[in-house]
Amino acid sequence: MTLASAGKPRASRLALSGRAALAALLLVAAVCAGAAIGETSIPLPVIAKALANRIFAAGYPLDAIDEGIVWNYRLTRAIVAACCGAALAVSGVVLQALLRNALADPYILGISAGASTGAVTVAITGLGAGAISLSLGAFAGAVLAFLLVAVLARAAGGGVSVQATGQIILAGIAGSQLFNALTSFIITKSANAEQARGIMFWLLGNLSGVRWHDVRLAVPVAILGVAVCIWHRRALDAFTFGSDSAASLGIPVRQVQILLVGTSALMTAVMVSMVGSIGFVGLVIPHATRFLVGVRHARLLPASALMGSVFLVGADIASRTAIDGQVLPIGVITALVGAPGFALILIRGRRGR
Amino acid sequence: MMLSCHDLGWSARGTPIVRDVSLAIREGETFGLVGPNGSGKSTLLRLMAGLLEPSQGGVRLKGASLASMPRRSVAQALAFVEQHAESGERITVRDAVELGRTAWLSPLQPWTAGDDAIVARALGDADMTGMEARFWHTLSGGERQRVHLARALAQQPEILLLDEPTNHLDIQHQLAILGLVRQLPITTVIALHDLNQALGCDRLGVMHGGRLVALGPPDEVLTVPVLRDIFGVAASFLIDPADGSRIIRFHPAS
Repeated sequence: MTLASAGKPRASRLALSGRAALAALLLVAAVCAGAAIGETSIPLPVIAKALANRIFAAGYPLDAIDEGIVWNYRLTRAIVAACCGAALAVSGVVLQALLRNALADPYILGISAGASTGAVTVAITGLGAGAISLSLGAFAGAVLAFLLVAVLARAAGGGVSVQATGQIILAGIAGSQLFNALTSFIITKSANAEQARGIMFWLLGNLSGVRWHDVRLAVPVAILGVAVCIWHRRALDAFTFGSDSAASLGIPVRQVQILLVGTSALMTAVMVSMVGSIGFVGLVIPHATRFLVGVRHARLLPASALMGSVFLVGADIASRTAIDGQVLPIGVITALVGAPGFALILIRGRRGR
Repeated sequence: MMLSCHDLGWSARGTPIVRDVSLAIREGETFGLVGPNGSGKSTLLRLMAGLLEPSQGGVRLKGASLASMPRRSVAQALAFVEQHAESGERITVRDAVELGRTAWLSPLQPWTAGDDAIVARALGDADMTGMEARFWHTLSGGERQRVHLARALAQQPEILLLDEPTNHLDIQHQLAILGLVRQLPITTVIALHDLNQALGCDRLGVMHGGRLVALGPPDEVLTVPVLRDIFGVAASFLIDPADGSRIIRFHPAS
């Protein structure tokens, strides 16, 4: 008995570190693929050398243009795409668990739309300056949008905590429409033609403008946000039978809801302020991951973060290579994959009930 | 004294649902709450579980004010089984019962063999051993209720609150659940609809219009005047020749 009980945690810890190593490897492989594949494909050894030059000052003789493309353009893109994928997928998992709704995700609940409005307001009306204030504006918009949607859902009789699943989604649609309209209103009223074109492109999800200062914001936000959610994995599990059941299992419900919805809103807002609102990642990735690793959040959260990262890096590669000489907004790719996925979840959800 | 309420009251939008309830649950007893529909049984249970905030009075758990205790400490002492807790997730029976350990595990604490043993015992006590791998949506109503009970037991509570746990179950499962609850060596507060089943409790509290109108051993509480005035039925008491216990036969009030 003592042997067995001593052996088990050690074995699972070993398995855990093995899985973590595999996840890290997959992530690095995805980011390297993101750096290698593009209009001009760059062989992996060149990428390795470029990284060595920049990080360790290794001094390999390399084509300066290749090195610049890898370091300043593609690597930043891939890293931000990975952060963004992880953040959106984990936000989706958290919102689905807290609202007990299979269709919840930051895009459908209007959080992304609110973040866009906030970011556009800051960008155009010039409230403050720089990346941080853009993110703050997006965060304010995201929180405002979620509060509005939650209040509307409660007024419609659904509530955030009640089993009725339809209201919060309908409220989310109303909220998205409202905030998208506000965004368009602000752009039309205040932006000049060039600004308007840029913003419209950005709204569909665009990683082209991403540089190292974005990486410095995206990486800590994604890591911290995902870590906060994983820290609360058991609390998220406890919401399986609703918030009353979570409370009787010892979860301070209101506190956890505010913290985790706030974390999701913050992650979504920071990502939206950099790359625009990218749909369906938060919806489809959690479901695909549940299918692979089950519903328990100790596995679901890290696995969704990994799947989201790899998926979005892949979507970015596809957006750059699908049409010769042109970059598609990444939101187009995620929607092309995500909309059928959404339909599948609707159909399966109906059969399950 | 395990759990007590003093002058407890709760209102929904100005309408009082529970009022002036003072009650002390003794250690180890099975306490039944009975009363007609809408008499406030469920609300009282939810107040005693700390799921609702009282608008008057308060609840004390083992001497401490429930409202000021962290949820985690409450959950380590008290478990609550709701009436209809459902889930659309593809969780297994084992997953659902493991949730009972939530209050005992901190974020950095790993799941241990000890937790496994507690979950296995809870499954055994609820007669669900061998069903661990079944998915929630494939279970019958009775099996779901037993899983909820097993989850509450995995919480290792000193007090168990149950809101009509036999509702919608067939008679065999009703008796099985009640038998199990009575055997448990812990304090239990159970809301019941079936008054004959309530006769098996150590003490009964009768709710009417949000007030606790009678309190005491079943034979003293469920009397002909109480059944007539509170439940609106006439009744005669019969003796079961099999074991000599009393049962109630109900007639429409004339």
